[in-house]
Formats: sequence, C-alpha cells, structure tokens
Amino acid sequence: MAALGFGLAYAGFLGLCLAMDRHHAELLRGRPAAGRRWLLRGVGWLLLGLSLLPCLALWGVGIGIVAWLGLLTVAAYSLVHLIPYAPRLALWLGPLLPLAGLALSLAPT
Amino acid sequence: MKQGFRQCMAWLHTWSGLLVGWILFAVFLTGTASYFRGEISDWMRPELHAPAAGGEPAILAIETLKRLAPDSPTWFVFPPGERNSELRVVWRNPPGKPTPPGSRGFGNMVLDPATGEPVTARESYGGEFFYRFHFQLHMPPLWGRWVVGFCAMMMLVAIISGVITHRRIFADFFTFRPGKGAGRSWLDAHNALAVLALPYHLMITYTGLITLMLMYMPWGVQAVYKGDRGGFQAEVFGVAPPVRRANQPAPLAPVGPLLEEAMRRWGGPPGRIEVQQPGDASAIIRLTRRDSEQISSNPQTLTFDGVRGTLLGASGEPGAAAATRGVAYGLHLGRFASPLVRALFVLSGLAGTAMVATGLVLWAAKQRHRHARAGRAGFGLRLVEALNLGTIAGLPTAMLGYFWANRLLPLHLADRADWEVYCFFLLWGLAALQALFWPGLRSWATQFAAAALLGLLLPVLNLLTTHRHLGVSLPAGDWAMAGTDLLVAAFGLLLGLLSWRLFRRAGRAPVTRPVRGAGLARAEGA
Repeated sequence: MAALGFGLAYAGFLGLCLAMDRHHAELLRGRPAAGRRWLLRGVGWLLLGLSLLPCLALWGVGIGIVAWLGLLTVAAYSLVHLIPYAPRLALWLGPLLPLAGLALSLAPT
Repeated sequence: MKQGFRQCMAWLHTWSGLLVGWILFAVFLTGTASYFRGEISDWMRPELHAPAAGGEPAILAIETLKRLAPDSPTWFVFPPGERNSELRVVWRNPPGKPTPPGSRGFGNMVLDPATGEPVTARESYGGEFFYRFHFQLHMPPLWGRWVVGFCAMMMLVAIISGVITHRRIFADFFTFRPGKGAGRSWLDAHNALAVLALPYHLMITYTGLITLMLMYMPWGVQAVYKGDRGGFQAEVFGVAPPVRRANQPAPLAPVGPLLEEAMRRWGGPPGRIEVQQPGDASAIIRLTRRDSEQISSNPQTLTFDGVRGTLLGASGEPGAAAATRGVAYGLHLGRFASPLVRALFVLSGLAGTAMVATGLVLWAAKQRHRHARAGRAGFGLRLVEALNLGTIAGLPTAMLGYFWANRLLPLHLADRADWEVYCFFLLWGLAALQALFWPGLRSWATQFAAAALLGLLLPVLNLLTTHRHLGVSLPAGDWAMAGTDLLVAAFGLLLGLLSWRLFRRAGRAPVTRPVRGAGLARAEGA
C-alpha cells in the first residue's frame, strides 16, 4: 500500500515536471505543445491526489495525512536527484513504480 | 521603503539563518538521532536482553519496588515496549531522608525484565544524551532551552522569509544542477531540500516551539490559574496532584488484573504505571497509555484504588486546547509512528539538517566568490568557514565518537556516563581546532573520512566488544541492536562518499599555498 502511494506520488511529480519546458527538454527533448502540457499537468495533479488514498487506507486520516506529506517529500527528492544523474531511469520509473506498487498491494500476503 | 519587499526578506533570511545556523544544525542532527532514542539507549547497554517469555515485567517490577523502596511516596514503572527492551523503575525518596547529590530526590534503577532483579548494565546516558542536547545543548536546562527556543524562533523567521524571497519557487521546483560553479549547485540543493520538505520543516519548528511554550510564554497560565499550577497541570497534562497519606498500612492490590483492564480498553499495555502511597490505605495506581497508536501525545490514564483494585476514573478526553497541544507535541516527537512513517520522519529530519548545512555553505561560497575578486578573505568569512567546518563535519564525527566511547571506556570507570559525554566534546573540540588552524577543502575531506570510518567500523567494534553483534542480532530479530549497527554504518557510508568526492575535488583544485580561510567555497568557485 505504501509502495503504491509512493509510486503514484512519483508519477504525479513526474507529470508536473514534464509539463515544464526546461524539464521536458531535458527528459524528452523539445517543448511540449499546449495540449500536451495541460494533459501532463492534469494527470500529474490527479496522480498526486490519488496517492493520498493508499495512505488514508493504510494509516487512517490523522497519521495518513502526515505520512502522505512525508511520502510526497521522498518522491519529489527521488525525482529531483534522478533527473540530472539518470534521466532515462527517472522517466521509466514513472509508469514502473505505480505498477510495482499496485502489484505489491494486490499480492496475497 | 527604499528597497523592495523581496530584498528585505532576502536580507532577513540570510541573517536569521546565518547567525543561529550552527546551533540549528546541531539541534536538527541530534533531534533526528532522537527518533532512535530508545534504540540507541538499548544499543548502549548491551548487557540488557530483550524481554524473555517470563512473568509480566511490570508485576515483577512492583515486587522489586516493595523491597527496594518500601517507604517511598511514589513509584513509577516504565515497562519495556516495542522500541525499547528496558524495564525501568523510578521512585521518589521519602521526605527527610538524605539522598545522593544530583538525584533530585528520585531513585532510579534498570531491572531485568525476565526476573525483575536489578541489572548491572554499564553506566551510560544512551540516546537520552542526544535527546537532551537537542533542546538544551548540554547547558543548564533553563539557559539551554531559552537559547534553543530563540534559535527555533529564528528558524521560523528564516523559513517564512525564505519562502517569500524564493523567486521561482514553482519554476525551480524540480531543479537541481550539480557541478555548476559559483554557488549555483549549493543554491539548488538548498532550495530543493527546503521546498520539498517544507511541510516537515514548518511543522517541526512550530511544534518544537509549542513543546516549550509554557516556559517561553507563562503569563496566560499565570493570569487564568492565578498561581494554581497544580490545577493547570492536572487539566492539561493529566498530572495528578499528590495523594495525602492515610497512615494506615494496607497491602497493595495485585497489578495483574489492572493491566488486563488497560489491555481491554486500549488494546495495548500501558507505557507507565504510577503508584502513589504504596502500602497505605490511601494508595492509588494510575496506568498511562503508551504513545504509539495515536498522534496526540495527550496522556490517557486509568486510575485505580490501590488497595481494592477498583476503577476510580478514566481521563483522556481532553478539551480542545489541550487536544491541540497534544497533537502538536505528538507530531514533534513522532512516537506514534510505525517503522515506515518513522523512516519518513528521519529522512525529513536529515533533509532539514542538510538544508541548514547547505545554507551555511552557500553563504560562504557566495562571499568567497565576491572576495576572490577583491583578493583577501575578511575575518567574517574566515570565521564562518571555520564554524562551518567545525560544526557540519565536526558534530557527526563527535556523535559517532560517542558510540565508540560507549564501547571502549572501561566498564567500571567512575562517572562513566559523564566520560562518554566528555569524549563527545573532546572529539568535537579537536574538530573545531582543525577547522580553526587548518581550514580548507582537505580538512573537510579528512573530517568526513574520520566520521565515515567511525560509522562504517562501528559494527566491527560491536563484534569485538560484545556478544550481540550482527551475526547474532540479525538472526534473532534483535532490531534495536542490528538496526543501530546498520543505520550507523549506512550513515558512515554516506559520509564516506562525501569525503571521497571532496578528496577528488581537493586533488583537482590548483595547488597553491593554502589560503587562510579557504573552504568548500574555493572548490565551488574553481
């Protein structure tokens, strides 16, 4: 569950990041078109919002929100450090992390 | 206003951060270590073993207290929990009896959780030292708390003015450009560390001030309660006023059923058992809920008649103000946190530490860049660079040295616990001397290298000096021991990487006569 929250937060930040000209150029080359920019931004915010849900499910409202803010911080740090050192990995982790998180939370324990 | 609002805020941010930055760094780093207070204390007393499946430790402790302190007016029992294996008893010495100096009228003993007998563990303050240092800096308590409170207030000012003065908080949200010269990278790092963990920084600084609010702002309470401190304490903290002794001997009720009652109500054992007037007809027994499981650190208590064992009352549904304070206090201590949430707190704490450090280094880097054109470094810059090196590299070295002192000092040394602390300050002093007389990139690298060795070799030292090394503690699931070993080693690895990069950079820097006061900034400009 926590892994899913982390994955969604990471993917959300990646979306918001790609919606910016400079980072789009760094990671994907070129400037995003207007439509694409809005799509990335919308999906980014949506995923960030969704990442709250696993936290609430896992920890309840009070601790869930605290943990969510912590997860957001760690997810954003990971992204910020991956962009200059391993840009391709930063991009691939966008879909991979949420999928891995989903698999982990669905796996029978 | 002559200058713009933003320039004013930038000025405020610079000076509020710089002037108290070194203390803030120490407060942040020791505070982060305090998230592991229980584990560090366990690690530093390897003679104590994890609770074996014997009798209930709390019942054994009460039996021991009946022998140890029969005339005491109050006993406290702190049973072992998930995060510490220590069974500790504290009792108030009866009035009129001479007590050893420094004990403040309390006796204090660690018991073996399996037998209830006093154990002879090595003398050490353990994680308590970092915890106390975090809010009173090893000064007399009142002075230390005022100093830390002042610095925390400055921190709050620095955070808010920093947010205002950050020109491109959204545009630069994901920006980190390593290897760019002239302070650019430091600025990026400082911004990222500050902005991405902003909720944590604000929360921890604000709630930190709240934990000591009654000391900083006592007047509200004085006005409303008119000197009735006991009444206030009872209402807010759930601290009961002392019970008057009836002077009729009566046996104490068995504690077992009371613990079961607490278990039934809270779903977990109590974190504290208080017995007032044991052995007297007026005795009461109060159980306090453990801090885990809920954010709020407001105590929930059950009070029992100490002779008949009947429930007298339950507290713990506090008013709104007390509940707010409880949540703030609980958030600051993070004791509610499960291992994963605690890991997030620790990472954020390290981010805060690094934020302060990068801010200090950034100031020096900018100044040096400016001075590089003018020629000679001024006194202010040299002072800041020496303090930077002595604190940012020196404090981690000293903290790791404290762990080594715990294992290496002779077991029966008089005042052993104090000697561990002296070792901490001795190492810190040495680091400060090096910073003063041999400033420069190479000193940064050697200090971090020393700290890295102390951290990386700690598991080896533990292997050589105790029987609870990683080969034993890992298979046994002894997480206080294994976790401390591994985390300290990981911290050492981090410092090692840092040191390696600094050595490489020092090797590349132009070989000139070392300029007095050259620091990290020089390589940055190079």
